[in-house]
Amino acid sequence: MGAGVIAIALAMAWGAVSIPSQSGYAGVGPNFLPWVVVVGLLLCGAWLVWQAWSGGFRDMDEPSGAAHGDWRAIAWVSAGILANAALITTIGFVLSCALCFVLAVRGLRGSEGKPEGGLRQTAIDAAIGFALSAPVYWMFTKVLNINLPGITGTGWI
Amino acid sequence: MAELWNLLLGGFATAATPINLMWAFLGCAIGTGIGVLPGLGPAVTVAMLLPITAQVEPTASMIFFAGIYYGAMYGGSTTSILLNTPGETGTMVTALEGFKMAKNGRAGAALATSAIGSFVAGTIATVLVTLFSPIVADFAVKLGPPEYFCLMLLAFTTVSAVLGRSTLRGMTALFIGIAMGTVGIDQITGQVRYAAGIPEFLDGVEVVLVAVGLFAVGEAMYTALYEGRSTAQMNRMGTVHMTRAEWRRSWPAWLRGTAIGFPFGAIPAGGSEIPTFLSYATERKLSKMPEEFGTTGAIEGVAGPEAANNAAVTATLVPLLTLGIPTSVTAAILLSALQNYGIQPGPQLFTTSSALVWALIASLYIGNVMLLILNLPLVGLWVKLLEIPRPQLYAGILIFATVGVYGMRQSAFDLFLMYGAGMLGVAMRRFDFPTAPVIVGLILGPLAEAQMRNALSIGEGKWGVFFERPLATGLLACVVAVLVLPRLIRLRKRSAEAAGTPTA
Repeated sequence: MGAGVIAIALAMAWGAVSIPSQSGYAGVGPNFLPWVVVVGLLLCGAWLVWQAWSGGFRDMDEPSGAAHGDWRAIAWVSAGILANAALITTIGFVLSCALCFVLAVRGLRGSEGKPEGGLRQTAIDAAIGFALSAPVYWMFTKVLNINLPGITGTGWI
Repeated sequence: MAELWNLLLGGFATAATPINLMWAFLGCAIGTGIGVLPGLGPAVTVAMLLPITAQVEPTASMIFFAGIYYGAMYGGSTTSILLNTPGETGTMVTALEGFKMAKNGRAGAALATSAIGSFVAGTIATVLVTLFSPIVADFAVKLGPPEYFCLMLLAFTTVSAVLGRSTLRGMTALFIGIAMGTVGIDQITGQVRYAAGIPEFLDGVEVVLVAVGLFAVGEAMYTALYEGRSTAQMNRMGTVHMTRAEWRRSWPAWLRGTAIGFPFGAIPAGGSEIPTFLSYATERKLSKMPEEFGTTGAIEGVAGPEAANNAAVTATLVPLLTLGIPTSVTAAILLSALQNYGIQPGPQLFTTSSALVWALIASLYIGNVMLLILNLPLVGLWVKLLEIPRPQLYAGILIFATVGVYGMRQSAFDLFLMYGAGMLGVAMRRFDFPTAPVIVGLILGPLAEAQMRNALSIGEGKWGVFFERPLATGLLACVVAVLVLPRLIRLRKRSAEAAGTPTA
């Protein structure tokens, strides 16, 4: 964790070098705050590493839930979110969200130790996903006139 | 005073039009429903519905959002009492005593005292907001950039250093938030920072995206990753009703809770965590039946903190509306809703958008009444929502998260960022990093930067400008005090203990 914070700080520092300092009257330009953040993150990161190294973080609440992560479940949920992000503009909001729902439900169900579901269960999930996302879509496109992508241009799906 | 009354009446006239009443009701209902669902707080709810700002006029949508904000608070306490899964830090204490009461078959009384207590505190706090906001706004007009910068600095330090368990982790979260805030076009010079050639980054990172990612997506992912096998047991509901003795024990606690909560919310330091814990400690000390605390559940332990929470939440509107400084996550999201309309909250808001402000305040009175009605007789209806199985619930939340984030900027790129924020949320939750400083840093960071550079421009580049003005210096002293005092107290305690042990 601390190493990650230091990594962000270094990345920011690398970026901050490229920001010119047109300081104007203020004496500090647009590169000032990034440098403050760089220094701040570096200090915090170093401190975190030191804490982790010398007996763990201080004053920490016991994290809730299982000691070991269910990586299979998170993979399904991640797949759902990422597929949604990748497909939303091509297959439209409704279908893409229904897909996301199906994948995420699979993962979450698996994490509870239940079977992830066969063909029948998946079909039911897909129907629920569709029934959830379609009304939302209609409300946004028809009632509120906010554009969401559809597979057709009609605004119904 | 008469002028104030007229303004408020004007506000009621706007807020009580059928269409605005409908928005208020819709907001309260949605807010309560979502507040009841575990894992979603008011901030995410407002964030997910933020795209409607593109179409709905400002007054209606602010009334709507305020309804959600309030509704989610009411609903959240229902969940804490029945399920012991506090959605927000503010309801943690409610869960402490309320869950114990519910376990002993007094769920009804706990629900009643929290709903009525929320109503009492919310109404009193709204009256105080009505009275104080214009005064603070008048005063705030006189503040210049140096004072603003110092105020924001104070908000930063309190949000990150004081509220969490560890100053270090709070500060880290804050800096991550500010770092996100620096992405995009610099407000003053127009210089592009950290865009990495991606056009989406030019506009900066949306607050909505980060909030939804951190809280909603992060929550869903955390549940999949770690919480799958943990089962929550639900308490049975009784009839929602309090005996005469319970009323007698509740009302002083409501009033004390309100008195403790309001000042904490109203100062630009914020947070509802400290006042709820303070109120809990007070009730515990004053109670005639201290043996009930932590064992069978004491009604004062629900009534006081719940009132303190609501009073503090309402009071955060004072710094938000008069100074433009958000001190809670939800306030930060409300601020970005206003920014979407091109409205910058601050002292001028009371003159330039007077109708909006007063309609908003009036709608708080109306919303409180609506929520009391929605929550007392209908609580059984909301509890039904808790029967939704967890996989479907969280997967459904992901759909709504997509709507909120995608609807904001119509960009699929944002969905990938949302996923990234979700990952960050999981890591932060696992290692007990507070998430509120990220949001506050993200939205307040750029504002603070602008104020600081303006201040330095006024001072012609000399940092002395912050020490030449008495108010700015005073605020800086507060910042130092906030950082140093708790440590001194802890040190003294420790040395006192060390001195006390040999004799004892």
